[in-house]
Amino acid sequence: MIESSHLPAGGDGGRRPGGDARVPKTAFNHLVFWFLFAQGGIIAAILIPVHVLIQGILGPLNIVPVVDRHYDTWIDALGNPIVKLYLLVLIAAPFFHFAHRIRYLLAQVVFYGGAVVVTLITIWVLLTTVPIGS
Amino acid sequence: MSTSEAHATPREYPWRMPANWWTRSRHYFWYIVREFTAVPLALWLVWLLVEIKRAGDGPARYSPHGSAPFVIFSVVVLLFSLYHSFTFLSLAGSILHFKLLDRPVSASVIVMSQFAAWAVASGVIGFFLVWLGR
Repeated sequence: MIESSHLPAGGDGGRRPGGDARVPKTAFNHLVFWFLFAQGGIIAAILIPVHVLIQGILGPLNIVPVVDRHYDTWIDALGNPIVKLYLLVLIAAPFFHFAHRIRYLLAQVVFYGGAVVVTLITIWVLLTTVPIGS
Repeated sequence: MSTSEAHATPREYPWRMPANWWTRSRHYFWYIVREFTAVPLALWLVWLLVEIKRAGDGPARYSPHGSAPFVIFSVVVLLFSLYHSFTFLSLAGSILHFKLLDRPVSASVIVMSQFAAWAVASGVIGFFLVWLGR
């Protein structure tokens, strides 16, 4: 399914040597999956290292104060709709990149399904934890 | 009849890669490491989602993760995360092609702009993570 979408948009829809010009078919599957792959990859590359460094290492070692080290500061941040949107993008988008990468290691259906499930769970957690305006 | 049996059996024998193909060359090995970076990064994002969800348990029950195993886990994730960032952002020079004032922008300038964006984003996010935690 996915493999065929990664083929060029040529085939029967392409221009033939005899001059039989047909309109090339746009590979929409190709477009969507590569867009998600690229966006997830750039978001993971630019955003994740600083979160891991500060929330995973410097915060727990008490080197710097971090927003999730205290209940009050953490729920203040989580109540902000911009923070919720940011966290949704930060957590969900990279999974579409991960899905593409892991498809050679494990069954792709599990991981594209997994990416959708993670997106839905993230939306649910963000909306049910410290609801907007509370 | 042996002839009809031979026609009935499939004539194609799909060639399969041996399971250890990626250990034969240094390039193959680092390619698989790059693909594998998705796994630790995904695990860390799931942890972040758990940290968000735990804020909903209330102030009495909330305590941020800070054990030594968690910090070690984060250090390992950070190494994979940096490897993903370096390899992914370096690719931009090969993928992005555009002109500025009718002159093609060189690949090194594009790659440098990606790394500059990474540095700026890390600075801004790091500032907010610490500032909101004060």
